[in-house]
Amino acid sequence: MSTSAALLPIEADLDAIEQVGLWKDAWTRFRRNRLAIIGGTVVLLLVLDAFLAPVLEAAHLIANPLKQDPVNLYASASWSHPMGLDALGRDLMSRLMFGAQISLTIGVLVQGIIVLIGLSIGLTAGYFGGKIDNLLMRFTDVWFAFPDLLFVLVLVSVFGASELSIFAAIGLVNWVNLARIVRGLTLSLREREFVEAARAVGSSPLRIISRHIFPNILGPVIVTITFGIPQAIFTEAVLSYLGVGIPPPTPSWGTMIHDGYEAINYAPMQAGWPAIAIAITMLAFTFLGDGLRDALDPRMRK
Amino acid sequence: MRFDTFHSRRRLISVGAVAALALVACQPSASAGPTAAPASQQVLQVNPTTEPNTFDPGQQTYSFEGAMGRSAFEPLLTAKADLTDVQPAAAESWSVSSDGLTYTFKLRKNAQWSDGKPVVAADFVYGYKRLLNPALTAGYTDPFFDQTIAGAATYGKVDATSASAIDAFLAGLGLSAPDPYTFVIKLAQPTPYFKWVVSLWVAAPIRQDVVESAAGGPFPSTDATKAEAWAQKPATVIGNGPFVFSELVHGDHLTLTPNSHYWGGAPKLQKLIERFITDNNTGLADFKTGTLDIDNLQAANVLAAKSDPTLSKLGKLYPELGTFWLTFNQANSMLANKDLRLALIQSVDRTQIQAATAGTDVPVQTFIPQGMAGYDAALGASQKFDVASAKAHLAASGFTVAQVSTLKLLTRDTTGSRLINQNVISQWSTNLGLNIQLDIQPSHSVHPLLSAAKFDIYGPDGWNADYPDPQDFFDIFTSASCHALNWGCPVLPGYDALVAKADSDTNATSRAAEYDQAQKILVDTGGAGFLYQQYEYDVVQPWVQNLTTSSLQDEYVPGDLSYQATYISKH
Amino acid sequence: MPTGGRPIGGAFLLFRVLRGRPARLGIFVLRRVLWMVPVVFFVILITFVLAHLAPGSPWDRGAGRQLSAAVIHNRNVTYGLDKPYWQQFLVYIWNVAHLNFGLSFQFQDQSVSGLLLAGWPYTLTLGLTAFCLIVPVGILLGVVAALRQNSKVDYIATAFATLGATIPNFVIAILLIIVLGVGARNATGGNLWLPFSGIGLDSRLILPVIAISALPIAYVARLTRASTLEILRQEYVRTAWAKGLPERLVIGRHVLLNALIPVITALGPIFAFLLTGSVIIETVFSIPGIGSTFVTAVNARDYPMILATTILFSFVIAAVNLVVDILYVVIDPRVRLS
Repeated sequence: MSTSAALLPIEADLDAIEQVGLWKDAWTRFRRNRLAIIGGTVVLLLVLDAFLAPVLEAAHLIANPLKQDPVNLYASASWSHPMGLDALGRDLMSRLMFGAQISLTIGVLVQGIIVLIGLSIGLTAGYFGGKIDNLLMRFTDVWFAFPDLLFVLVLVSVFGASELSIFAAIGLVNWVNLARIVRGLTLSLREREFVEAARAVGSSPLRIISRHIFPNILGPVIVTITFGIPQAIFTEAVLSYLGVGIPPPTPSWGTMIHDGYEAINYAPMQAGWPAIAIAITMLAFTFLGDGLRDALDPRMRK
Repeated sequence: MRFDTFHSRRRLISVGAVAALALVACQPSASAGPTAAPASQQVLQVNPTTEPNTFDPGQQTYSFEGAMGRSAFEPLLTAKADLTDVQPAAAESWSVSSDGLTYTFKLRKNAQWSDGKPVVAADFVYGYKRLLNPALTAGYTDPFFDQTIAGAATYGKVDATSASAIDAFLAGLGLSAPDPYTFVIKLAQPTPYFKWVVSLWVAAPIRQDVVESAAGGPFPSTDATKAEAWAQKPATVIGNGPFVFSELVHGDHLTLTPNSHYWGGAPKLQKLIERFITDNNTGLADFKTGTLDIDNLQAANVLAAKSDPTLSKLGKLYPELGTFWLTFNQANSMLANKDLRLALIQSVDRTQIQAATAGTDVPVQTFIPQGMAGYDAALGASQKFDVASAKAHLAASGFTVAQVSTLKLLTRDTTGSRLINQNVISQWSTNLGLNIQLDIQPSHSVHPLLSAAKFDIYGPDGWNADYPDPQDFFDIFTSASCHALNWGCPVLPGYDALVAKADSDTNATSRAAEYDQAQKILVDTGGAGFLYQQYEYDVVQPWVQNLTTSSLQDEYVPGDLSYQATYISKH
Repeated sequence: MPTGGRPIGGAFLLFRVLRGRPARLGIFVLRRVLWMVPVVFFVILITFVLAHLAPGSPWDRGAGRQLSAAVIHNRNVTYGLDKPYWQQFLVYIWNVAHLNFGLSFQFQDQSVSGLLLAGWPYTLTLGLTAFCLIVPVGILLGVVAALRQNSKVDYIATAFATLGATIPNFVIAILLIIVLGVGARNATGGNLWLPFSGIGLDSRLILPVIAISALPIAYVARLTRASTLEILRQEYVRTAWAKGLPERLVIGRHVLLNALIPVITALGPIFAFLLTGSVIIETVFSIPGIGSTFVTAVNARDYPMILATTILFSFVIAAVNLVVDILYVVIDPRVRLS
């Protein structure tokens, strides 16, 4: 949420060639940032894990995350179950690996909703300005006045507990940040000569926004999304911990903490492993986001 | 976080026979116990886990509320320690007229309120009328009181916004006090279980002057807000039980102290502290350090306790008087098929559920739980775990695995329900190859789905007895309860008539036979799939003496029926 | 950056919206105060609609025997739930305008304000203790890191701040419980460990305070470091050094006083966040404050509690943001009063 601080309007009067240069420059800068590379690598590994978990399971390299062993509840670590078994005798490591699927899906899909709402409100308000801007921004202010976790909780209880309602609730609450950033950037871009020029030759607002404004705000949008992903993953974990998140038996890290907490005396790592997984994911995305911001924000060019 | 299996708090509990007797036999004898600790150490700390919603006994409808409420208020009768019958409490004796319609209670002349005033029949008349005041909307009035007491049948039809309508209704009730120590109740029809109704803790006497002084004077019977003013903090509550509420620390604990005016003598305990520790791990930690004397353990902590040399000696399983089952929505064309229902029931190995719950959910295949009059294991034969028979039933049903796999199992979003149902669907998958999914809903979304019949299978659904009489169970599956408690609305030919006959049958033998027949119909047609009886694993410190446990107690507070004799020994 | 609460970002963004000419402070304050009225109105409206849209009724029982239709009807009459929604809403607004938040549905006939007041002391105990930790630790870390820029101390402080700012407080809480609670207890045979449930002015405060403070400390430390570094580059500081003033004087009078201005304005939203508590920290540590009361209220469909908590939180956040904005205007004359 504090990402906005660094996202000042970028110098936007660049032509297409300069834009290619910008992306190339950004990549060069990104490569030099060691933490960002580590973060990016961990994120890549997580994505890989999410895709490979079913393959590994099919190859019998990891256990079926739903297979129960009711006589060995909370069994401790062994060769066949490196992290032990959970409350229903299911393989904890396998569940942790499959859990990355749900976390990443939530993280990414929520950004879809945020981009959809945040971008359209931000672009509309910023581009048209005046009354439209005022109206949309006041609406945004009201939305912003809600205490966010309280709002998500109420939304989830309205929609009922399902993957879809979790996506929707987290998305509906968190678009404000992006909308404000996009609006601010658009507001300054529309005064630039190249936008004035496009308007003078009679380009439609849609064309101007999509061809001239959007490409120039892409960097900050990407950065905001990168920071939004861990935020969404975290919110899902909190909801699942409070018992209103992803319905079981689907493995989700939040649900695993929720269930594992019941056994914190008996088998503390039941909650410990998923907590560590969340912590690592958050760190990885933050390093990646920091790296992307430094790389994509020309203000940082010294 | 609670582990209870089917939802949040349940209601009152039940009967005695085998299990209860067995339990009573385990109690230390009251006369020659170990030496008592000095008065300053006579403090019992228990953990009902949840703060009561109110101090008004008439409004207390959850068993954890009753656990605290019945220490401070005493009804006419209470359950005997062995739960085989009731025994005198605030009433010294009682008699029933030969037509079974008039109950006369003689009150104790030496009974006093916690402020020293005598307990008189008018206090009971006021308490009962208050309970039956439609504007008070007490949760326990219907069906126990409005369907039994003469003149109360119109309880649900009275205009609760009209003081004159309410007053007329209350004046017409069969409640009277011919003299200060005689309380007479007239019934609408013979009700063999009415003695249990008057032993419910909601049926407490209430002092009119206490209610009105807290409200700031008399108020119309429509004013439900003022009617509750007295019960919002311990200081204004005057009770007739062995203890008085003395201090409430919100979210932390409630302290009760002895009522020196109690007719049976003040209890030995100098303080009864009811803690509100929701986290089971913290409860166990406090128990280990000795700051909690009795605690309930949930699955993972049961395993921890059983593997601990000290704790395993202090822990024990206590039965609850209730059963849990799978409910099939018979409006669903597939589930209306008896063979499919039996296939689903017979393919569940209940011992696996028992294993998954650290031994606390004990297999049962009947409707009536063990320990209650009317329990007969043989009645459950047709629901036995038998994969071959289940497969045959599935084939006979004519539905394919793919068709049946479209069904969903509605699951309450509690740890216990989730745990059990994940085990059930995994057994259906292993034994019948079905791929039935869970439909997990937060607790408060479940009830609307059930009452609108918007579900396929629901479980664990269940019932814990309000009082130890089978009547409390059998009215669940009548067609009159359809969409009320009877969520699946099974077609049970003959059941309604048998239950109606038994409910008012004053002959104990024929009554029991009628209930047996009704149970057989329910079990054999797979009207519900009976799974388990819940037991609670509780740990009790060795210095807690004379704890009177029974399966009527709240699941978290063994011994809550009466702490009158309980004391702390030297340690 | 992930956080448990919105207030920090809230004020933070507002800083950026406001900039420009000075003057007209009175009108500015008045406008901001008046603006709170529609905001709170819409917050009430939206929460009211959502709360009533949620499936289930406050009279539903978890299980067991449900209330009969007649009793439910009478309860609806008592609580005014039989009226059309718009009428209920108007009555509610009218009552809220008179600071009457109604009766709780869950806790029979107890007033909502009474219940909130009963829970707030717990939230405050946690929040104020945390605040007393956050300010000195955060500032100290930031200043030390800045004065010893690029030293080991700086790296350690920065790493600590990164961890605190990145790992969600709820994950920190779980890990603390595992290591310092359960782990320590098992390792020392139950002799030395930190409790992780309940609250009081004792060792029960330690873990929740650490968990809830991690993010704000990290935030204050980063802010302090950045602003201290900026001040250190200023001409007048260089002049002060050049004049040969003692280090203590330069740092104390010239650097710190100026560096702390942005930090102080940032403390407002942190304070608001701590006043309203953290739903998740209170739940993890079983603290009966207003955060965990809210979770219970949502589950019990206790509409008056849900509404009152949301209104209260929104109001506190809005009020603190307002105060911060005014402070900001007063401190920094360059801010535009639009």
